[in-house]
Amino acid sequence: MSIAELIWVEKYRPSRIDEIIDQEEVKERIKRFVKTGNMPHLLFYGPPGTGKTTMALAIAHELYGDSWRENVLELNASDERGITTIRERVKEFARTAPMGKAPYKLIILDEADNMTSDAQQALRRMMEMYANVTRFILLANYLSGIIEPIQSRCALFRFAPLPKDAVIARLREIASREGVKINDEALGAIWEISQGDMRKAINTLQAAAATAKEITPEIVYKTIGFIEPKEIIDLINIAFSGDFVKARDKLRALMYEHGVSGIEILKAVQRRILSGEVQIPEEAKVEVAEIVADIDYRLTEGSDEEIQLSALLARLMLIGKKYGLSTAKETKAPAKRR
Amino acid sequence: MSRRIPWVEKYRPRKLSEVVNQDEAKKALLDWINSWEKGKPNKRAVLLAGPPGIGKTTLAYALANEKGYEVLELNASDVRTGERIRQVIGGSMKMGSLFGFRGRIILFDEVDGLNVREDKGGLAAIIELIRESTWPIIMTANNPWDPKFRELRNEAEVIQLKPLNEDDIMSILRRICNNEGIKCEEDALKLIAESSGGDIRAAINDLQAVAEGKKVVTKDDVTVTERTHQFDMFKVLDKVFHARRFDEARSVTFLPSFDWENYYPWALDNVPSVYAKSVDALSDALDNLSLSDVVRGRIVKTQGWELMPYMLELMTAGIALVRNKPPLARFVRLSFPERIRLMARTRESRQLRDALINRLRIELHTSSSEVSLYYMPLLRLMAGSDLFKKKLLERLMRVLGYSMDSVERALGIEGVGEGGEAGGGAERKPKKGSR
Repeated sequence: MSIAELIWVEKYRPSRIDEIIDQEEVKERIKRFVKTGNMPHLLFYGPPGTGKTTMALAIAHELYGDSWRENVLELNASDERGITTIRERVKEFARTAPMGKAPYKLIILDEADNMTSDAQQALRRMMEMYANVTRFILLANYLSGIIEPIQSRCALFRFAPLPKDAVIARLREIASREGVKINDEALGAIWEISQGDMRKAINTLQAAAATAKEITPEIVYKTIGFIEPKEIIDLINIAFSGDFVKARDKLRALMYEHGVSGIEILKAVQRRILSGEVQIPEEAKVEVAEIVADIDYRLTEGSDEEIQLSALLARLMLIGKKYGLSTAKETKAPAKRR
Repeated sequence: MSRRIPWVEKYRPRKLSEVVNQDEAKKALLDWINSWEKGKPNKRAVLLAGPPGIGKTTLAYALANEKGYEVLELNASDVRTGERIRQVIGGSMKMGSLFGFRGRIILFDEVDGLNVREDKGGLAAIIELIRESTWPIIMTANNPWDPKFRELRNEAEVIQLKPLNEDDIMSILRRICNNEGIKCEEDALKLIAESSGGDIRAAINDLQAVAEGKKVVTKDDVTVTERTHQFDMFKVLDKVFHARRFDEARSVTFLPSFDWENYYPWALDNVPSVYAKSVDALSDALDNLSLSDVVRGRIVKTQGWELMPYMLELMTAGIALVRNKPPLARFVRLSFPERIRLMARTRESRQLRDALINRLRIELHTSSSEVSLYYMPLLRLMAGSDLFKKKLLERLMRVLGYSMDSVERALGIEGVGEGGEAGGGAERKPKKGSR
């Protein structure tokens, strides 16, 4: 019994390669690998919600059938404590022989581009060391975040954002199977929010379904406050306005009460500012990009996330002062925000 | 935990005679209030000055109590907005006679806290109030010689309180022990008195921490309290903030008791309050602290202890030597790091939630930060929805083996067990895990 079967993203995750939407070229090539059983290491890259994880899991299903769990090691670089733990887990996993027809076991490593290049070098050595008994599938948002020696050892697959028709058709299918009423305008609104990110689209649909019996565009827009926390926008505006202590309290609530990781907060801050959801002059955006890049580096190198994010807030304060953003008001919380 | 009365309150002197070791200050204060009563005050206000925890506020209340005045505490924003001014100065004797008070004393506690730039109006308004007030005004400050008080000093008589010595503090502690029926070794009292650095409030708090509920307190009980350590950290930070030279700031790192790991949360919490008046100073200091943490990260990862000096220099001199450093009071106000409290207070809920997040990240094939940022809000929304609520909560209870209360705490919601609103979830307030 799982919690995830109540989550539509998981409930409707395709388990076979053919069921995966779009990505035709990728599917053809991968099916050939699976058929011959002769599969190299794979590297899937592309934006979130385009099917990388789903594809990796579908390969596992096709290779091992029901016993896929015993033959697959799933790792997420951001959750493993450094390359040493990854090495230990891989070593332990590679010790036993694979079950079923495939002559190797599968290691799916998500967020590989978040690993430092030193860690990736170590990873490359592991890929070679266990090549006779394992295959790696590396997942990344950016190919550029993966060091060349790893790229050259993998078959590369680019996952493109999904087309509008495919996303809307899928949403309509899920809505009808769940008995949820949704009109075309609302489906269009979900597309506007999620673009080619299927995970975000389905999450938004479910959040909207939890909010109202009949989904309208208004409901959809109201809902996104949940999935894209308003807290982040408040945090940014308070920092721009120069109230450090208040901004820090918000930061702490996110970190310690909601348990959001430092890097995730940083990325959310970056997205909100650069997408224009927080109004700042264009030239200030360049400075923000520079600050975010710097803090990103410090977060990975440093050891105390709150110190690094506090430095971020202080620098946002300076931007606020420089561009006179201190009049920016805290956004009004939507009615249904927690 | 049972509710307890802080001994600081319980044993706060109510009369001037109970205030220890401030004879000169008491006399000056009585002379001043008498001059008011004769209708001809030499100065209309007094400024009680001295380091934290030596009884400035207590003295003001003791005076009022003894002479039959009602104390009205005001802060700068009250005055500036004028909201309470009319109520205070404009108020006739009616009120006083009704409750048997002879009159009122207006108390401005801790005027150091005024932010000169932002509260410029506040300081001016206080001066105006002093000139117009028909009531005696008492102010307290740690450092009355701060340049920002120049004008205020012309309007008020400065009364300097003496720091308490160890004997004074020990005699107060001894009296409390007697009263509470606690037998406390002299050495133990001496240790508490020493580590208080003349701060009687700190000393009494420490005594209560080690002694409450005990019959006998020995020296060993005291050594395990945190204050000696905390006190060191106060001293270290005070020195760092006041340092004008690189060497001076760095010198604290040579102290045998210097605890660099613990220094980070202390610095992180106190930089923003000490440098509240200067964005430049604040951001420089935090930037250097952040760089120091980067060096620390590298040291930990590579065991490169030869990098240690850089880390120590950035965390001390990097905080002391900053652009547009604001003028500091002689005793900067420092506080215990809120983060340490916050972490302790939210520990249990965090553990419940972490277990949930960990389970979800595996089931959803994603990272824990992705779960906290995108799926936890969805679950909270589902928990407030007629469509999903029942199924979700039952499932969470079964899968995680939690009680309903624990499920709610893990999700960070409350009151979900009651019926939701028709057509959607009722608004859920976050559980009051923290302020």
